Amino acid sequence: MFEIAFNERGEVALEGRLDAAQAARAQAFLDGVAGPCVLDLTKLDYISSAGLGVFLKTHKRMLAGSSGMSLVNVNSHIIDIFRYSGFDKLFDIKVLGQ
Amino acid sequence: MRIEYGRSFDEISRIVRDTEAFFEKEGIAASIRTAVDLCIEELFVNMVNYNTETESSILLEMHPVEKGVEVSLTDFNVERFDPTELRDVDVDAPASERTPGGLGLYLVLKMVDSIHYEYVDRRSKISFTIKVVAK
Repeated sequence: MFEIAFNERGEVALEGRLDAAQAARAQAFLDGVAGPCVLDLTKLDYISSAGLGVFLKTHKRMLAGSSGMSLVNVNSHIIDIFRYSGFDKLFDIKVLGQ
Repeated sequence: MRIEYGRSFDEISRIVRDTEAFFEKEGIAASIRTAVDLCIEELFVNMVNYNTETESSILLEMHPVEKGVEVSLTDFNVERFDPTELRDVDVDAPASERTPGGLGLYLVLKMVDSIHYEYVDRRSKISFTIKVVAK
């Protein structure tokens, strides 16, 4: 299960599992979002490299317009993936509970 | 557990459900499930994306080991590709120099406790173990 939509704060909220089967849908949504952008990952349980690719492509597009993505409420699994992949150095990240 | 899956990303949700059911049936620690899910997905997706010369199903096997699980994915009638021979990804590069390619298998190598590759009679089999980390 995967959902992506704007929340009441105007942030992009992701929910469920962002895997290879869902990456195209996530990319299509984010391609329509102008920067700067905050992604609320409170309810995102899982991400694979396909999801990382979506984040990277979007972040690079937004940086080209001088603003990037911020990620908030990132859980422990996802922060581990970010650390392994070096993505924790690419984004402004707030871990869940901070 | 021994199940075959079609060569489609649509099978990922079925793989996840079957893995969850196996973990519950065998009493394998839920704390390692996310890592197992990720490694299976990355290896499965790699097979679907790059072993395009075959239409065979991909075989997933799983069995409990002490403090964890051993998982194998086998692809049939394909060329040899050993994911353990991958070059490192430069994870310190800035965003402008990063590309998404290669990250999946890199993450697998980071997350497993052991990994083994076999290639016999055009059967490509990748096996890995993930165990609970002692605290």
